[in-house]
Amino acid sequence: MSEHLLEVNNLTLDYNLGSRKMQALGQVSFSLDKGQVLGVAGESGCGKSTLGLAILRLLPRVAEIRRGEVLFNGTDLLKLSEEQMEREIRGQKITMIFQNPQNALNPVFKIENQMIDILRVQEKYQNPGSRKRRRDFKQQAIERLESTGIADPEARVSNYPFEFSGGMKQRVMIGMALSSGTSLLLADEATTALDVTIEAQINRLITELADKYGTSILYITHNLGVLSEMADRIMIMYAGRIFEMGNTEAVFGSPRHPYSAALLESLPSRQTKGKRLLTIPGIVPALDRLPSGCSFHPRCAFAEEVCRQEVPPLIEVDKGHWSACLLDQKRGRKKWHWT
Amino acid sequence: MLKYIIKRALWVIPTLLGVLIILFSLTYMMPGDPASAMLGPRATPELVAELNQRLHLDRAMPVRLGYYLIGVVKGDLGTSVWSGHKVSSLLAEALPHTALLALTSLGVAALIGILLGAFASVRRDSPIGGVVTIASLIGVAVPDFVAALLLMLLFCVQIPILPALGAGVAGNPIDIAVHLILPATALGIGWVGYLARLTRESMLDVLDADYIRTARAFAIPRRAIAYRYALKNAVIPSITVIGLGVGKLLGGAVFVEIIFSRPGLGKLIVDAVYARDFPVVQGGILVATILFVLANLVADISYAFVDPRIQYD
Amino acid sequence: MKTETINKTEVGMSPAQFMLKRKWTDTLRVTLRAVVKVKGGLWGGIFISIMLLCAIGAQWISHDPNAQDIMHRFAGPSLDHFFGTDYLGRDIFARIIYGSRIAVMVAFGAVTLSSIVGVFLGVISGYNEGKKIDYLIIWVFDVVRSFPQIILALAIVAVMGPSLFNVVIALAFTAFPFYGRVARAQTLSVKEADYVKAAEAMGLTRMKIILRHITPNIMAPVIVCLGMDMATMIVWESGLSFLGLGVRPPTASWGIMLRNGYKYIQTSLWMILWPAMAIALAMIAFSLFSEGLRVALDPKERER
Repeated sequence: MSEHLLEVNNLTLDYNLGSRKMQALGQVSFSLDKGQVLGVAGESGCGKSTLGLAILRLLPRVAEIRRGEVLFNGTDLLKLSEEQMEREIRGQKITMIFQNPQNALNPVFKIENQMIDILRVQEKYQNPGSRKRRRDFKQQAIERLESTGIADPEARVSNYPFEFSGGMKQRVMIGMALSSGTSLLLADEATTALDVTIEAQINRLITELADKYGTSILYITHNLGVLSEMADRIMIMYAGRIFEMGNTEAVFGSPRHPYSAALLESLPSRQTKGKRLLTIPGIVPALDRLPSGCSFHPRCAFAEEVCRQEVPPLIEVDKGHWSACLLDQKRGRKKWHWT
Repeated sequence: MLKYIIKRALWVIPTLLGVLIILFSLTYMMPGDPASAMLGPRATPELVAELNQRLHLDRAMPVRLGYYLIGVVKGDLGTSVWSGHKVSSLLAEALPHTALLALTSLGVAALIGILLGAFASVRRDSPIGGVVTIASLIGVAVPDFVAALLLMLLFCVQIPILPALGAGVAGNPIDIAVHLILPATALGIGWVGYLARLTRESMLDVLDADYIRTARAFAIPRRAIAYRYALKNAVIPSITVIGLGVGKLLGGAVFVEIIFSRPGLGKLIVDAVYARDFPVVQGGILVATILFVLANLVADISYAFVDPRIQYD
Repeated sequence: MKTETINKTEVGMSPAQFMLKRKWTDTLRVTLRAVVKVKGGLWGGIFISIMLLCAIGAQWISHDPNAQDIMHRFAGPSLDHFFGTDYLGRDIFARIIYGSRIAVMVAFGAVTLSSIVGVFLGVISGYNEGKKIDYLIIWVFDVVRSFPQIILALAIVAVMGPSLFNVVIALAFTAFPFYGRVARAQTLSVKEADYVKAAEAMGLTRMKIILRHITPNIMAPVIVCLGMDMATMIVWESGLSFLGLGVRPPTASWGIMLRNGYKYIQTSLWMILWPAMAIALAMIAFSLFSEGLRVALDPKERER
């Protein structure tokens, strides 16, 4: 019996585009507990967004789940029917906010209408038979806006999305996504499209509200800097697989996988100060033409013959610290210095 | 909002001015002498002189233009050379028939087409999608008058169940409706297919949009997503198309009215062309154009209501 | 597998110039292949080719379209007369084949004329955005566009007298604003491109910039318009001829055939059926082909 809030086991998923088949997720396994923040990091196309969508079953039709389970409080979400997902999970226990707030809201409807629609649905599933009136919902919407720091909520609730800035729109989304009933928030590049100063504010807001409601967060981003502040644990993905996973300090302090080390060496930090920043040679492989063995081996400065032949499994190499590098697993702790 | 409406409406004025100028210059394009051309075989020197004087054809161009413009503003579009009736009254008589035809065919076609398209996009697996695509291709390909002829061939000659000519006995709504069936179908057939396909494609685009994904993530019921959230965005191209399509509709109405011998603006203009009754031709085209311009204006403005971003451009 | 990229640009070169550097036969081949890949693009292209062949080689394919045979009027299809005969005993099949000649002539003539005028005005207007000449040209476009197209064409032909030439002029006049608007919209986006700025910085005259840099790069949507427009022109020529305001009898045009067929609708269905199908098929063919062109020329679609 699982005690974790969220436990993903061996999730494998393809995108079937007729002529091409792309493996978007390969044997992804991890867990998340109540109140924790797990950061999911990686370059574009590594599958982190797909992971989030897979949990809520919002994938496009071309996606096929080959194997695996997604246990939420012990229940496999993959086995639930669409109605059950709508009734119990989406928008209530598990919510999601997306990258581009510009497009996340329907441009032809007022904010209040969209919020009221969502609130109505939540009310319907949480208190069936509730007799709340539109007036009450509108008031609730205003309160949500206020709690996310939007000034003058009574007036702004009647605006259209294009009258809001990007940061404000994201606040609206956060207001809808984080409430007392939310157990898990999936944040998919929530601040990537925002200015750096706004980004900090929004992330602070997310952390505040998550603490207040006891919500766990799966924070998906390519920005390691953000994760160093927000995440308790970190998971680094590449080409649909997890390469390294563990506590933030452990992964940042002593990365066990060459790829993680490379990512860290390409960021400006105290360790890289004064040195030339690394750019990892080569590009991320196309998901329908993955290299054999370890999918990173063509670009890895330390790759050996065995890396080309075997697909590395994800193994716990230290307490709570997992890595998927054959060389690390065979030879133990090593410092991977690229520069 | 109001500012946008006013700005948009004001642009109509210089446009109409240009229209009047073009209509006016049509007389200059006639080979030979306009008055004799208009009178045709009845032309005698006296009648020609009289017509020249009545229509100011003997004056200099600016003067003629002046007479014309003043006349239009006053609502006086001249008198029919053929029948002697005032052009404006002829038009007033003909317009309601054309309006009835146009509105019926467009209204029914829009309703059927848009709902069909929305349905086809939501139920992607049902064969309706393929049917819609094929029907729309055929509907667009067969022009109005060809469709009208084929329909007449089929339903009036080969299987005689519908009346071929006329608009029906006035005051008898059933008869009028029966006489409307074939003409309205001929006009509307292209539209149903086109609008269905347009709506379906637009819906498919919209259903891929981020805000739809947001709605799904918050468990908004699927039917509400499709027919409220998505459709409101998806009809935008259809509205534009319908606005522009009024012009095509008027053009098609011309043929349909001739073929089915229905009274209306189209028949009036074409009959006047045959009879070389120039003032009627001029007046008829002017009215048709004004209607088209107004329809576009209405379409643009209602577009602004549906998509509130437009006003702020 | 060699991947062919048409829209890859090197710094400073425009996509059109890049295309022009390759042999034009290559570009043509790649484009056609892309068109054919689109569903229906192939059939559209085939039918259009057939039409062109009929138009050019009419005299070798069929009988004389004007040969009357009163003894055998209103005949149904037979080995001698594939499509039957009309009210004067003329071979309908022959008249359809010759009719394609009229259709092709009008379509190409009107489309060429209106596109040249329209694109020229549109580019000038776009390149001088905001200035008086821009407003003037836009005004002209809007005025002409305000007329329901067929009604305006009708009036022009009525006033000038029915003939093939006048039909082409009238149709071209009603159509040029559409090309103009498309050209203008494209010019607005193209003129901000780097290669245009580079040319301006180098001191090229405005006319040279317009001709050499802007016009080739806006042609893609214009070409797609051309395809669809040809179909519409064929339909309108038929319409005008149907009203007696188009080509003059006894020239065989599909529209005139419909006009005669209408008169004798009670007697013969073949007089209507064949020209109707010819028009419809021509329209479908051009629609499919230009849809294929649209997909082939749109760089975003090619990645699908």
